[in-house]
Amino acid sequence: MAGARTARVRPRLSPFMIGVRSDALVKMARFPSEEWTKLYAEKLNANKSYEDAGKNWEGAITFVVQKDSALDKDAFIYLDLYHGKCRDAKFSLTESDLPTPEYKYAGPYGNWRKLINKEIDPIQGLLTGKFKLQGSMMKIMRFTKAAKEMVNTTASVQTES
Amino acid sequence: MWFFRSPQVVFGDEALSYLSSLPIRRAAIITDRYLLGTELPERVRGALPEGAESLVVGDVSAEPPLSEMTAHLEKVRGFSPDWFVAVGGGSSIDTAKILFALHERPDLTVYDITPLVQLGLRTKSRLIAVPTTSGTGSECTWAAVLSEENEKRKHELASPEILPDYAILDPSLVVSLPPEQTRNTAADAIAHAVEAYGSTWHNPFSDAMAEKALELISENIEGVIRDPWGLGPRGQVHIGASMAGLSFSNSQIGLVHALGHSLGATFKLPHGKAVGLLLPYVVDFNYDACPERYDRLNMLIPPKYRGRRLSGSLRSLLGMMGVARTVRDAGVEEPAYASSMDALVTLALESTGMVTNPKDSGSEDLRNIFIKAFDGD
Repeated sequence: MAGARTARVRPRLSPFMIGVRSDALVKMARFPSEEWTKLYAEKLNANKSYEDAGKNWEGAITFVVQKDSALDKDAFIYLDLYHGKCRDAKFSLTESDLPTPEYKYAGPYGNWRKLINKEIDPIQGLLTGKFKLQGSMMKIMRFTKAAKEMVNTTASVQTES
Repeated sequence: MWFFRSPQVVFGDEALSYLSSLPIRRAAIITDRYLLGTELPERVRGALPEGAESLVVGDVSAEPPLSEMTAHLEKVRGFSPDWFVAVGGGSSIDTAKILFALHERPDLTVYDITPLVQLGLRTKSRLIAVPTTSGTGSECTWAAVLSEENEKRKHELASPEILPDYAILDPSLVVSLPPEQTRNTAADAIAHAVEAYGSTWHNPFSDAMAEKALELISENIEGVIRDPWGLGPRGQVHIGASMAGLSFSNSQIGLVHALGHSLGATFKLPHGKAVGLLLPYVVDFNYDACPERYDRLNMLIPPKYRGRRLSGSLRSLLGMMGVARTVRDAGVEEPAYASSMDALVTLALESTGMVTNPKDSGSEDLRNIFIKAFDGD
């Protein structure tokens, strides 16, 4: 049976992985940080589900990571999103250094950690007050799938604990 | 953390008489054009407390468009009601929810009715829903659907604050429901229960409502179709439909409604007809994401309709009810369907139902389901 033979074939390695343990290639970053922001933008641009769901979206969003007992300063991650791709990503500890976004998705650092660990559903997080969203509700209600994919992508960034 | 939200539910024989015990002084009765010509608005008016004044807004369209709200709102504001009493199916109840919100907060637009905005309602009035169909569940939900004529789009509005204060389920109000509406609305209720049960946000409260709803509806709908005037089966299906409303209102809809809103808005199909025909196709698509849950639901369908899988059982049950099996059966012509396919997929993709469906899906998945549903498997 062809299927049985195929099942025994070794998985094909990407050119970048030959001879290297795959876990050695994993980039990790502290959250929130400039490195994390760049990794997130890469992951988002590789996320086909986001590209599909956000293909008609135009507008920037800033993730606001609010200080709490485990983070001593607010942090801001600005993402310029256009037709299913992230055109630009910037990190800053000063909001005024960044362009004004169309939307802000804000929550305390502890809740962001739970979101990244998939302990909070991004939309339920909004509905239960763990996160706040600022911006036109009329527009974003048509892009809930894209919004979910954006937040889900945070979980795919290897984040230092 | 999550919530279970429900209105106070008054149900059973003579439930409508409960209206007389409420402190109603000025009631805005919101109903549709069809019901305006029947005795129902008068029955509701007659059940109000002695001395209560009333205004009947009786020209709500089926699947009401946004443009209708302005005229309704002017009438309502001139009357200053302290209670809104919605009498009818989903269109009347959804309209009443929107009018209630905009009467309370004249500074808002319909687009402000989202769960992410604190509306601060109930400073001037309260809301009662008296359903005269058994299916939309709108009397028990915090959602409202508005059509957008120019865009062929349905807006899914939602806020916990537009949940009615009371839902009055009186079986005598549904016995005269015509056969086609009986079957379409029951199909909608079945879809609510199945979608709520499969939702990624399902919880013990919504599960209990969904299971009991499916049991009540599937066991009694044949009796309703055979004897529409029989209060017993009608009452059970009526309660089941509201429980189905409670189930999805507390766990959310899924792909059936995402696709159904798109199909219904594009081809002017009644909502229940659209979701009823799509339900088995979506259950087939979703099955591998939640087999145990669907198998459990399958066991609640009466043995005479029960197949090996839930989708087969639903096909048997919906077939007995006379629900269209395919988009073609529903009267949509192939050339128009094919030329609308991209728009159908885009509209569905923008639905909130995409977020909580048990199986993740994208444009190609939606397209494939639409294609399968045209002629059947």
